[in-house]
Amino acid sequence: MMSRSPAAVIGTGLVVCGFLLWLAWPFSSPKPFPANLGNVEVVARLTEVPEGAVFERELYHYATILKYEVISCARGKVLPGDTIYVAHYDPWKPRAAAADAKAPGIGGDVRAFVAGDRHHLALAIPLDDHYMGGLVDKYFGRRPPLTYWALRTDAD
Amino acid sequence: MVPGQDSRPMAQASRLLVLFGCTGLALAAPPAETARLAAEVRPLGWVAYSARSPKGDWEIYAMRPDGTDVRNLTNSPDTEDFYPLFSRDGRQLLFRAMLRGQTVSGNDYGRQGRLMLARANGAEARSLGEDGALPWATWSPDGRQLLTLQPRGFAIVDLATKQVVRSFPRGGFYQQPTWSPDGRAIVGVSNGFNTGWSIARLELATLNATAVSVADCCTPDWAPGGDRVVYSRRRPHAGENGGYGWTEIWQARPDGTEPKLVYAETGRHLYGSHLSPDGRYLLFTGNLREDGDPANQGAPMGLLRLAETPMIAEEAGLRRTYPQAKPATALVLPAGHEPCWTAAEAPGLPR
Repeated sequence: MMSRSPAAVIGTGLVVCGFLLWLAWPFSSPKPFPANLGNVEVVARLTEVPEGAVFERELYHYATILKYEVISCARGKVLPGDTIYVAHYDPWKPRAAAADAKAPGIGGDVRAFVAGDRHHLALAIPLDDHYMGGLVDKYFGRRPPLTYWALRTDAD
Repeated sequence: MVPGQDSRPMAQASRLLVLFGCTGLALAAPPAETARLAAEVRPLGWVAYSARSPKGDWEIYAMRPDGTDVRNLTNSPDTEDFYPLFSRDGRQLLFRAMLRGQTVSGNDYGRQGRLMLARANGAEARSLGEDGALPWATWSPDGRQLLTLQPRGFAIVDLATKQVVRSFPRGGFYQQPTWSPDGRAIVGVSNGFNTGWSIARLELATLNATAVSVADCCTPDWAPGGDRVVYSRRRPHAGENGGYGWTEIWQARPDGTEPKLVYAETGRHLYGSHLSPDGRYLLFTGNLREDGDPANQGAPMGLLRLAETPMIAEEAGLRRTYPQAKPATALVLPAGHEPCWTAAEAPGLPR
């Protein structure tokens, strides 16, 4: 049986670790969304979920505005490190079950909004072009006016 | 659907008592008071509203303001007809129509189905466009134009030519716009003022939007003189309805100052505010569910004198909140949705 030198063992270990790191590398790009899905595509971290921003409401639909820190941008004029504000429709529902006649074409695999989670988002602006309805904005008066409309929200 | 009814005061009072009992309301006004109110408003024109017909579809009805002389204006069992709006001169009627079996949405009824235009008595109804066209259409003061509200903004459409004569951003307004009697402003529901459902006013000359009320609000209407706006406003309350509270009717000046309670109940949400053409009376709906129940039967409508407000249905909790309010004297009218009122006699003319 052939013995391996310590250098070879270390080298192999480094290669394996590198491969694992590559697999888990947080800045690796997820599979891109279709290019016509919105005009901005980012991976971003949900900074927080303010108290009262997400609640279940039986009769009325609403969108809530959540704050994200951009990690990477595949499309659109957004830079890593930017803070963006994203409107999510009926945020108490899993994204896959949220679309309806008022907000067609939204979706994703995120089941609930949890602070700190990373999301792969397809976004559209301006908000008024895409959504007419109640808006819960816990950042009102404390943020820039640009609001993105979330079309697709996948876990990253 | 109740065809022509007895308008004699005592018969009227008896009917009103029956209605009180049927709806389980806490209104305890003496029958003579409600009979007086009924007799007072009966000759003041017509009220149009949408309601389920005996066949199960939604139709547009007209009735005298005391609830008598009910007549079906649309008679179209193959469609759901809803959201009637008389022009300010009372000669024309807008409503929306969609194929039977579709559900009228408590929030989006203004953009469902086709917009229809008819004479005030329902005759000569014709479609003004495809499904979804001219959403949230509301009359200009002179009845020659329509204001519409869609995702890309407001548009003013000339009724004769169907041409857009002006368009402008909606700036967060999203439902129930109503054009002021002087034509200078719009009130509607907006998401631009720190609550999802605010009442806001948009000045048409400057496109400056200001809040009228920033509680959860909707269904605004102008007073005929343009000096006040009435609207629904939900008052969260720890002890009521699981903390959610009930929706009350309020009024304020168009700049949001001098907000005042008009009418409150415990146990029903009050919506559909619409003032009489002389500004002395208020129509509303009283809903067990929050959205006006258009998906079901609608909700009993009511009518009260503005001069007697603020008014409450006698409830201990409400009395503590509004110690100065008067006890309710309100007519209970048939179940319906989004009533509107004209002083004109045209809705009662033979077709």
